Amino acid sequence: MDPLLYVLDLIVFIGIFGILSLSLNLEFGFAGLANFGKVAFFLIGAYTYALLSQIGVPFYLCLVAGGLVSAVFGLLVSLPALRLRADYLAIAVLAFGEILRLIVKSEEFAGGDWGITVSPAITLVGTSHRVDALVNIGLVYFCLFICFLVAQLLANSPYGRAMRAIREDEVAAEALGKSEAKYKAQAFMLGSAMAGIAGGLYAQYLQYVLPGMFMPMVTFTVWIMVLLGGPANNWGVLLGAVLVQIFVRGTNILKDYFLLPINPSDLQYILFGALIILVLLYRPQGLLKESQIKTKAMEGVRRARNAVKNK
Amino acid sequence: MTVNWAQVFFNSAITGSLYLIGAVGLTLTYGLSRFPNFAHAEFITLGAYIGYLVARQSGLGLPLALVAAFLVTGIVGLLCYRGIFQPLAKKGASIIHLMVASIALGFILRYSIGAAWTWKPLYFTATWSAYDIGPLRITGLWVWLILTAVALAILMHFILVKTKIGKAIRATSSNPELALASGINVDRVILITWFIGAGLAAIAGIFRGADTQIWPLTGWDIILPIFAVAILGGIGNFYGAIVAAFIIGLAENIGVVGLIALGLSTSYRIGIAFLILIITLIVRPEGLAMFFRRA
Repeated sequence: MDPLLYVLDLIVFIGIFGILSLSLNLEFGFAGLANFGKVAFFLIGAYTYALLSQIGVPFYLCLVAGGLVSAVFGLLVSLPALRLRADYLAIAVLAFGEILRLIVKSEEFAGGDWGITVSPAITLVGTSHRVDALVNIGLVYFCLFICFLVAQLLANSPYGRAMRAIREDEVAAEALGKSEAKYKAQAFMLGSAMAGIAGGLYAQYLQYVLPGMFMPMVTFTVWIMVLLGGPANNWGVLLGAVLVQIFVRGTNILKDYFLLPINPSDLQYILFGALIILVLLYRPQGLLKESQIKTKAMEGVRRARNAVKNK
Repeated sequence: MTVNWAQVFFNSAITGSLYLIGAVGLTLTYGLSRFPNFAHAEFITLGAYIGYLVARQSGLGLPLALVAAFLVTGIVGLLCYRGIFQPLAKKGASIIHLMVASIALGFILRYSIGAAWTWKPLYFTATWSAYDIGPLRITGLWVWLILTAVALAILMHFILVKTKIGKAIRATSSNPELALASGINVDRVILITWFIGAGLAAIAGIFRGADTQIWPLTGWDIILPIFAVAILGGIGNFYGAIVAAFIIGLAENIGVVGLIALGLSTSYRIGIAFLILIITLIVRPEGLAMFFRRA
């Protein structure tokens, strides 16, 4: 295979999974929600894109629609689920993803087992695969940039601080008048919208959607990215996305050069599992720590602390 | 369309028995350690493979396979708790971290199994000898399954009510601090429960594997209904789990009749357990617990 194309392909994947990890970071890192069904919203975005593009809707509308439909589903799922404890929410959303995959697998309109072929977003006549990949990189990183901007603005706004407060202590935050359910539902909705856009990008890049692309494994790949990179740190989760994707590709390349006594794709997942457990045991804050909140009040506190120390 | 209702109810009993055996361990460890162990699915799968190894490849028969799978998987479960979850809990990991760790453990086990036995499905026997009793079609395997579930229910009831360890499990489940203050070695109680829970999952795995097929996703295929049983029955509640298992068994089998009547794919069968799970979580997250004594 063309090595340059391989690198370009890797860059596209990093972008798509970067969006996914930003969206999970919003839910888990900032709002403390255990979304074990990220793949469900990824699937909704991808299938919305595929079905709409089939009837000739332009690609940007398909992408936006994927995000919107996913956000609506996110809101619907979150309304009853957010009253639940973290463990119940995790089980409910995980089950939601499994059922959704079952539906697209069984129903004719979604193409069943064979899925749907999707036409690429932008086709330039008579160009090579390399140029196609470059066009995709442009599109994916444009979306990633917007999602990152939204996530960063949220994280450093009063809104983001209220979210973190709820994550740390629901009762205390409620006592200060921050509605827990409202913030959680909004975080879930926004996270789902981002996942939906990532799904649309994924569908148009691969040019097909299949039920098999949306296994629970996808959700946990994103979890590894967030946990490894650093929850509640947007730069951290992007770093996580880069590292995990390079790791995936690396093991795939190793397969071609080394004769391993074990099936490399099995080995890859075993290492994934071991990596999560090691991170949770020895570095639960991830590679990059949660970014410090910067406000005038916090600066005052810091100055006061220093003053006390120097006295 | 005529429906053989006798068979539907008999099938419900089979499904319920399988889910009961699979869910007991999950509900007990969930109640004691306070987090859902998603790797329970892989304990089920591991049991199926060990059963295959003993019963089929060594030709030692089903009873010995049940014992071997119980012991080996039980020890694996105990080691997993001791090596991963206990240190995490001692470090003050949140419930979300414990859940993610259990999924990670699930990956390690599932893909290790895949690497050891390959992903090609295995079968215990091509066919089990079937008998027709009136309108019912019964196989030897199903009789074994129902008998095992009944024996398990009686044995677990006896252990929980009469023995010291059973009482300790109940005490720790309802109030760990008070149990500790009364001189119960809480850590040891949790370890023993993980051993029993993983062992029982293995037995469910053998029956599921013998009834359908054995592959690295054998456990994951039925993890949703098993979670539904644990939650509908009330987490940590053994008696609730018995009732919930049969409710979900009935709902699935009657639901399949309904799905066929509606002309829908029968692969939605698993969606029925999901529906019950979601409704329980929204309407009554404590499940049926209040109707039963806590155990």
